[in-house]
Amino acid sequence: MKGHTLFNWIFALLASLVLLFIIAPLAGMFLHTSPEEMRSTASDPAVIRSVWYTLAIAFAATIIFAVGAVPLAWIMARRKFPLKNVVQGIIDLPVVLPHTAAGIALLGFISRDGFLGGAAQKAGILLVNNGAGIALAMAFVSLPFLINAARDGFAAVPERTEKAALMLGATQSRIFFTISLPQAWRSVVSGFIMMFARGMSEFGAVVIIAYHPMIAPVLIYDRFNTYGLSAARPASIIFILVALFFFVLFRVLATERRQIFRREDDATD
Amino acid sequence: MMLRTEKLCKRLDAFLLQEISLEVSKGDYYVLLGRSGAGKTQLLELICGLTPPDKGKIFLDGEDITRKRVQDRGIGLVFQDLALFPHFSVKDNIMYPLKVMKLPLKERVDRVQRTAGEMNITDLLLRKPENLSGGEKQRVALARTLVTQPKILLLDEPMASVDASLKDSIRRMLRRLNRNGQTIVHVTHDFGEAISLASRVGVMHNGRIIQEGTPDEVFTHPANRFVARYAGIKNFFRVTFVRSYNCCSCITDNRTKFKLPKGDYPSSGLLIIAATEVLLSRQGAAGVQINNIHGVIEDIVPSPLGYEITINAGDHFYADITRREMDEEKYVTGEPVIISFRPESLKMVGEGEEMNKY
Repeated sequence: MKGHTLFNWIFALLASLVLLFIIAPLAGMFLHTSPEEMRSTASDPAVIRSVWYTLAIAFAATIIFAVGAVPLAWIMARRKFPLKNVVQGIIDLPVVLPHTAAGIALLGFISRDGFLGGAAQKAGILLVNNGAGIALAMAFVSLPFLINAARDGFAAVPERTEKAALMLGATQSRIFFTISLPQAWRSVVSGFIMMFARGMSEFGAVVIIAYHPMIAPVLIYDRFNTYGLSAARPASIIFILVALFFFVLFRVLATERRQIFRREDDATD
Repeated sequence: MMLRTEKLCKRLDAFLLQEISLEVSKGDYYVLLGRSGAGKTQLLELICGLTPPDKGKIFLDGEDITRKRVQDRGIGLVFQDLALFPHFSVKDNIMYPLKVMKLPLKERVDRVQRTAGEMNITDLLLRKPENLSGGEKQRVALARTLVTQPKILLLDEPMASVDASLKDSIRRMLRRLNRNGQTIVHVTHDFGEAISLASRVGVMHNGRIIQEGTPDEVFTHPANRFVARYAGIKNFFRVTFVRSYNCCSCITDNRTKFKLPKGDYPSSGLLIIAATEVLLSRQGAAGVQINNIHGVIEDIVPSPLGYEITINAGDHFYADITRREMDEEKYVTGEPVIISFRPESLKMVGEGEEMNKY
């Protein structure tokens, strides 16, 4: 038992060090910022605008790309096809790429000379230095989080339930919407939150695509470059608090939904 | 003929379903019996279209359905794990196929109520599957399939998730369904289930149907040693026939000799003796002049009817004796005994080339 206690102490110590490493810089930032600085930054229209802009674009990018990402996740979970490992590698690629490199690659694609950029320009849309371009950059680096979480969710759905629905006469699309998606819902929502969170905190890829209009991470960088650390701190805190608020809110909403289901279950007993 | 398959073949990785031809008449209760891995479930999946066959044809009610969509075949399948939809209530599970059929709401509700009533699950309709027992889940899965009024009902090991105490009630329910005209194909590994339910039996082994017929035909005249073993027959011996002027006899590979009633016998075959027909005594069974073989009791184990005694007489014989007989004779292991058989209790099966495979 003595060895067991020592083991617990050592692990608790190591775990605390890691947690402290995460908390200390954030706590330091809060402690070094006066309420006065916070008040003035919170009422700065440029800061407010950039925060809302970041949230809105990250949310839109997640919703729009989910339309294709969720079916891709289902295919990865359910279908066997040649070079499936290569496709999985492609999906994971944005996670390992330096984000500035991802931005450069994307810029070539969406600039006026690029394939997508050229087509968009003909339709009268400019993707560079524009919200649409920022959304593409956010989606590019954060898509793997949604695809992989949803894929795991679909893979965990018992295939027999899908086969049973087929035997009961349902079409593939009905099975997807009534059997597969509801059972994988929790993972899909979790992937959605992760993609949103990752997208709104993106800096490297976005700054290559669009310095302006400024999203919050670019604004923080800009304040730091122009005015120094003390000017960047309050903007960082405000963005962290707002991001944290929405992150927690989505998590709570997802949990609420589960609990509502559970209450309905209890009520039927 | 309700269901007919014509030389169905399918290769699944290393496993091969070979030339499966079976016929199920309207109103039949057809039991496919075989060990796990025999290919029973794969055959069901071929019939209902979840897996396409490599070769062969499937006919349902005279129509070739080999390439027909799963949804349009009119076949109901209840999976071994039941595959209830966990996020739906029992009612919504049963309602699901009716919504797919786009039936009017009133008819949907009526059908759900009627089927739930027949399956005795009306009080479970608002529950979720996770709150049901194995037997209840089984009834719900059956109801969900029956509500579609399938031409033929396929059941994959329907007793697998049911407690032993509830098996009887499920069995009664299946018998009642069949009596009401539902054609059923039931897959199982359980010999008892086959005996108690089947109007016809097909025994599957290594991807083939090796014997087919009524339960009586199959289990009293097993075509080979695999079926015999399945039917619980333990005394079967490969024998060579010896013919002399006025009597017939046969001899096992271990030189045990049996005298047989007069008749025509092939040159070699399988000799089968029911364990209840093996007479055990210390001096030779009364009235039996021939086929008295000396041996030693090797093992005595309790059985549902009394005891099963293993006797080593060169070959191993198994004798079933009643508890009363045991109380009177008090046999012990290691004791020399005589086993006797009446010639008419010896059954011969011609051993074709197929025989040695099993």
